[in-house]
Formats: sequence, C-alpha cells, structure tokens
Amino acid sequence: MNRLTQHLLLVLLGGVTLRVSLGQGYLAYVQAGFRPLLVLAGALVLAVGAVGVVRSRPGADDGHPGLSVAWLLLAPVAVLLVVAPGPLGSFTAQRQAAPVVAPLEGDAPLGIGADDPGETHRTMTLSGYAVRTQQGDTTPLQGRSIRLVGFLSPREGGGWYVSRIRIACCAADATAVQVVLAGDVPGAADQWVEVVGEYTPSLPHPSLGYPEPALRPVTVTPVDPPADGYED
Amino acid sequence: MQTEAQVTAPRVRSTDVLVGLLLVVVAARFAFPGVFDVPAVQAWSTVFVAVCLQALPFLVLGVLLSAAISTLVPPSFFARALPRRPGLAVPVAGAAGLVLPGCECASVPVAGSLVRRGVTPAAALAFLLSAPAINPVVLVATAVAFPDDPEVVVARFVASLAVALVMGWLWTAFGRGRWLQLPPRHDHAPGTSRAAAFLAVVQHDLVHAGGFLVVGGLTAATLNVVVPRAWLDAVAAEPLLAVLVLAALAVLLAICSEADAFVAAGLTSFSLTARLAFLVVGPAVDVKLVALQTGTFGRRFAVRFAPTTFVVAVAAASLVGWWLL
Repeated sequence: MNRLTQHLLLVLLGGVTLRVSLGQGYLAYVQAGFRPLLVLAGALVLAVGAVGVVRSRPGADDGHPGLSVAWLLLAPVAVLLVVAPGPLGSFTAQRQAAPVVAPLEGDAPLGIGADDPGETHRTMTLSGYAVRTQQGDTTPLQGRSIRLVGFLSPREGGGWYVSRIRIACCAADATAVQVVLAGDVPGAADQWVEVVGEYTPSLPHPSLGYPEPALRPVTVTPVDPPADGYED
Repeated sequence: MQTEAQVTAPRVRSTDVLVGLLLVVVAARFAFPGVFDVPAVQAWSTVFVAVCLQALPFLVLGVLLSAAISTLVPPSFFARALPRRPGLAVPVAGAAGLVLPGCECASVPVAGSLVRRGVTPAAALAFLLSAPAINPVVLVATAVAFPDDPEVVVARFVASLAVALVMGWLWTAFGRGRWLQLPPRHDHAPGTSRAAAFLAVVQHDLVHAGGFLVVGGLTAATLNVVVPRAWLDAVAAEPLLAVLVLAALAVLLAICSEADAFVAAGLTSFSLTARLAFLVVGPAVDVKLVALQTGTFGRRFAVRFAPTTFVVAVAAASLVGWWLL
C-alpha cells in the first residue's frame, strides 16, 4: 500500500466520522455527550490525511510491507455508507434482556411524583418504572395512570413488550429494559409507541421464570421514533 | 473493475485497488438493498460502528501522545525519570498509569513508543497494563456503576495494579528482547523539521493501529450478536465457572475500560468476584488489544503476552475478590 492510499483512507475515515457526528447519526452508536470528542477526532484524522494527500509526490514512495491490515479501515467506512445502521431495536432487546434488579429490602418505597403538568398521567422512563415494580411495596404505583414510550418487541409465546435499549458508553454495551404489555395490543416489532396504562403485578418470564415488570395498557398510540432512542 | 485495471495498467497500484473497492461498495448499495435490512445485519453493523467510533478519539489521543514521545521528547528524559534497575522501574511506570485518562486503545501506541525511546520493556508493559485500568476516569466510573459496593473500586485498583506489576516483573525475569518486533519506522531524512517528522509518525500510526482496531471491532460485534444474554445467566451459579466465563467474556466483548463497569454492574446474576474478573481482565487482554499489540509489538510477543496476562489477571481477580469482596 503506498502513502497516497494510506492518506486517502484517513480522509475517508475522518470524513465519515465527521459526517455522522455533525448530523444525528452518531446517536445510534454512542452517548450524546461523546459528540465533541468524535467531531475533534474526525476532524484531526481528516486533516492529517488531507495534508498527506496534498504533500505526497507520486513515485516518491511506493509499497510499504506489513500494512495490509490498514485496508480494514475501509470496513467502517463501507458499513457506514452502505448499511448506515440505525439504533438497536427489538432484535437486540430479545437477546440482551436481563432481570430487573430489585431495590434493597427495607428501603422506603420510591415514589413516582405528581402527574405531568396539565395531564392525568405520569410519564416514566422504562427503567424507572421497572425498578419500582420490583419494590416490596408498590403502593406508589397503585391507582395511577402511567405513560411509557418505547418500541414494541415480541414476547416469547405471544404478546408484546414495550422496550428501550440502555447504553452506558456505546452500543456494544447495550442492555434492554422491557415491560410486558398485559393485554391485546396490535402492532409490529420495532414500532415506537406511547403507552398509557396501569400497574399490574409482574409476570414470570415464559421460560426463565424471573419476574418481568408489567403494565395493563389503556391506550397504545404509534409515535415517531425519537432522535435519541436510548435510555441512559 | 479491478480486473480491468490489472489488464490496462502496467502495474496495479494500491490507489487503483482503493478506487475499485470503493466502486464495489457503491455498487453493493444498489445491487442488494434488501440484504442490509435484515435485523441481525443491522444490529451487527450498529455494534461494529459503535466500537470503532467509541475507540477512535482515544486511539487518536494515544497516537498523538505516542508521536510526541517519539519525536519531541528526548530519550534522556526517560533515562532520568525512571530508576535504572528494571525491577524498580516497573512499579514507578505502573503508578504512572494513574495519570493517563483514556481507555486501552490509547495506551498501546504510547507503550510502543516508550520502548522505542529506550524505556525498559518491563516498565513500558507495566504502564501498558495499568494506564487503562487504574486511571481516575475508570475508577470514578466503577464507583458510579457499583453505588452499593464501594469495595469493588478498591478491589479493581488493587487487582489491576497487581497484574501490571506482576507482568512487568515476569518480563524482567523471563522476557526476551527478540520477542519484540517493533515494525520499522521510516526515519525521516536528517534535515526535515520536527513538525514533519511528527506528522509522518501520526499518519503511519493512525493507519496501522486503526486497521488493528477494526479487527477488534469485527470480533466484538460478531460475538455480541451471536451470544444471547440467557446463555450467560445459565452459568452464573457455578462459582469457578462463573469467574472463567466472565473473564472470557471480557476478552471477547472488548468493551472500553471506561464503560465496562456499567456492563459488569448489569450482570447481576454473577458473584462480585466473577464481575471483578471481568473488570480486571477486560482492560488487560481483549480481542481489540491483542490485535493492537500484535501490530505494535509483533506476533511473537502477542502470543506469549496475551495468554500469560489472562492467567495472571484471573488469578489476581480471584485472590483479591476472595480477600476483599
């Protein structure tokens, strides 16, 4: 691989990195707060490559043994240009679901706060709701109308979960939070929905048996996916 | 496209190949639009791109630091800063790992350039292992991820530092210089400016280390899509097996050391000791690191260093876990 090719690869890599980080695309892969670092890194890689392209002279240096691994730099560029993968969805939710950690026994039950301003329901994150359903005392949830937003993912043996993917750092550490929709809900996997419903006791996982948080839906409304679909 | 180029051009240059590959990529987008909508392909691609993007800023930081060490810092600086005897230089270099706030991708090129600058390999390796594991960012992330178990932070610090020191001293006792094959660096002609030399090193290292980073990303994405979470929870009840499985998982998932605590915290069916093994092994040995180390230090080094580090890290995590957790 000659120098010019190496520099062109850097220009490509820096270019696509800048492109995803200046638009909304990067939110599918990393946390929102990571954007400045990505912009900086993309700009540096692009600049280093561009300087190399401008200053390289043809024939000055041809061939550099042991750099064939550098061809792989084309892989992320190609995947971003050709596949342009979106945020993780129900495929990952089905594989990365885990039991909800129950809060410590004896702690005072976490409340859920007042209804949203001007509404008769309380909007909660999926993980916030899931944790509160595993408390010994679920009275804060009783008799309340709760609104959750997430995408539909299929449950073993039929029915749906409303799900969100949580990422700590990037999509490689994704885990899923899922709440069983206890009732008949028409829909399709990965459809984003807004669910308003009431607390109902957790149901056992169809094959593994651990308790899964559940919600009895009253209304299920399809909505557009949010720009950043991951929960922190 | 490539075959045409081969027929007409007297000699295929890599720029021709690059243009050919790019045309293939563009053609693929129009020829098989449906293939890329399969959920498994989408999920794999998302994780692969995520690993690459997440690591890129840290890799750039590491390459810049490493180029600065290679071209701007005189070798005499390290001779003065580190004790002459390797046995003493190891703990000093291991403790120096406290100050480089980055993940493991940054520390490999830096360790490589330290060796080039005449630092004893034992000390450079201690730094390589300690920097991504015990820096403040990682320790704070661990404390945030385990709010109810602050002793995990102490255990992680102790076990990771122990791995770095033991590996450094093992190298002092048994290491052979001929195992290290640092790839030849094009030395700039005398007379070129320092800035030009710096830029040349940055360009070379970015292309080189970036390629190896992609190898790690490919592996991690494949594993992430192939292994469902339920398989893991099935082995959590066996104490010994649980430690080994999470240690192996840390190698294969190649999660950045600043994020691995959050993943470990989520593996609630496993014992704290097993999760400590995950935290200690991950920043020391993983597929992405082994690929980077192969590129920086040569294959003969990597095949010895990686398995030894794995054994030492599992042992350190088990002992410290048994003692503190």
